Amino acid sequence: MQAACKRRMILLIDMDAFFASVEQAHHPHLAGKPVIVCGDPSRRGVVTAASYEVRPFGVAAGMPLQQARRLCPHAEYVEGNPDKYVAVSLQLLDLYQSLSPDVEPFSVDEAFVGLEGRSVTLPSAAAVARSLQREIAERYRLPASIGVGPNKLIAKMAAGSRKPRGLTAMDEQAFRNEFWPREVQKLWGVGPKLATRMRSLGISTVGDLAHAPDPVLKQAFGIIGPQLKDAAWGRDDTPLVPFYQGVDAKSMGHEVTLPEDCSDTGFLEGSLLRLSDQVSRRLRSEGYVSRVVSVKIRNLRFETFIRQRALGEFTDDHALIYRVARGLLEENWKGEPLRLLGVCASGLAKSESAVQHSLFRRFERDACCRQAIDRIRDRLGEVSLVPAGSLTHRRDLSHVPFGTLSSRPLPDHRHADPSP
Amino acid sequence: MFESINDPVDMLTSFVDGRVEPLRFQWRGRVIRVRKITGRWSRRDGQSLLRYFSVEGSGSGTYELCFDPRVPRWILSRAWTE
Repeated sequence: MQAACKRRMILLIDMDAFFASVEQAHHPHLAGKPVIVCGDPSRRGVVTAASYEVRPFGVAAGMPLQQARRLCPHAEYVEGNPDKYVAVSLQLLDLYQSLSPDVEPFSVDEAFVGLEGRSVTLPSAAAVARSLQREIAERYRLPASIGVGPNKLIAKMAAGSRKPRGLTAMDEQAFRNEFWPREVQKLWGVGPKLATRMRSLGISTVGDLAHAPDPVLKQAFGIIGPQLKDAAWGRDDTPLVPFYQGVDAKSMGHEVTLPEDCSDTGFLEGSLLRLSDQVSRRLRSEGYVSRVVSVKIRNLRFETFIRQRALGEFTDDHALIYRVARGLLEENWKGEPLRLLGVCASGLAKSESAVQHSLFRRFERDACCRQAIDRIRDRLGEVSLVPAGSLTHRRDLSHVPFGTLSSRPLPDHRHADPSP
Repeated sequence: MFESINDPVDMLTSFVDGRVEPLRFQWRGRVIRVRKITGRWSRRDGQSLLRYFSVEGSGSGTYELCFDPRVPRWILSRAWTE
């Protein structure tokens, strides 16, 4: 009976322009100035984060740096530091955990916090959120927008409705008043393609979706049709998964914007090998194996192609992932200069349940070799051992995440075969 | 603008309550007093934990410093100067 009286409210804390705000907090002279966080500003790349001061100039995350420079030449261009942002994110999670054990990180700059108890109401949760917002500002000098609601959907959409430094609390009725008149694409979970299909059915607003006939939704969108309608009513029973319970990963990938447009096969294969190695290392360190490999390529016209191939077996072997990735590149690349390459492993399973112990000695040897490499990297760091094929490009690959290779110059072997 | 430095620097350091903190360092012949630590984070590299600090210096600059326990030594990784 007592349990039935318990009530739950959810907070979604969304750090405003997180990476740029961290740089402004750590370097006070940047406060109030337009700040663009990117890769190496002297190289070509994209905007990773844009502070609120730079947004009126039309600069947004994902935009090519060249375009950002044209729009806002006087901005401060700061090289991003993923380690720093992850560390600050973990410090914030510690702070949230002082409020409640139910903390679910949603991304590096967003987290859900569940508040539960008989006395928890929307106003009391909003008061907790206000105090948390103040503490984040005082302790870390970072702006955050917080949404409060009875479920994750409402908390998430409330947080996005007023930024930066917003605090919005909504119950289901307030959610409907706020979002029903808005475009259906504003609903969390409705992307551009889904929105286009909805519009073709005469569903333009969130309110239209809430009143759409069930059979129409079911026929058009299958099992998610009724779920989308529930969402339009502000109903969501998605559980909050505290991070100590862990969530199974669905895919793991790495990608890199190349330092310049590149059609050099040797360089592209070297980059692909390095990316395959990073993906396989991550699979092994988190205890996964994969049976689908995909390659992402982006050309000068920003056309992006993703091609994938299922494997006959589960793997965490960088050589196999690289071979498949290279095959996909060969089949799908027309030889035009590329600006981005990516490798992704999906179809994941936990390694202990998926890999059948091989009877073949050669495979055992390979697995032992990988374990030895992992032990060396665990002890001495990620770049203590890297595939020889990517070393031929060590200077050029220094921009690859986690790939700060030795600065000791090597002879240029650009056209060597980057075999794993 | 920001400048990548990655120079080893001589540092006067305090160790209080198990925490290491930079107090002042010498760079390009100048002694720079740490006025304020504006951020701290760490990065694991193999078994070693590298500790990073962003600080405001006694002049108008801000700096990012790293304590590498393997050597051990302090490195000025980045500086912003007018």
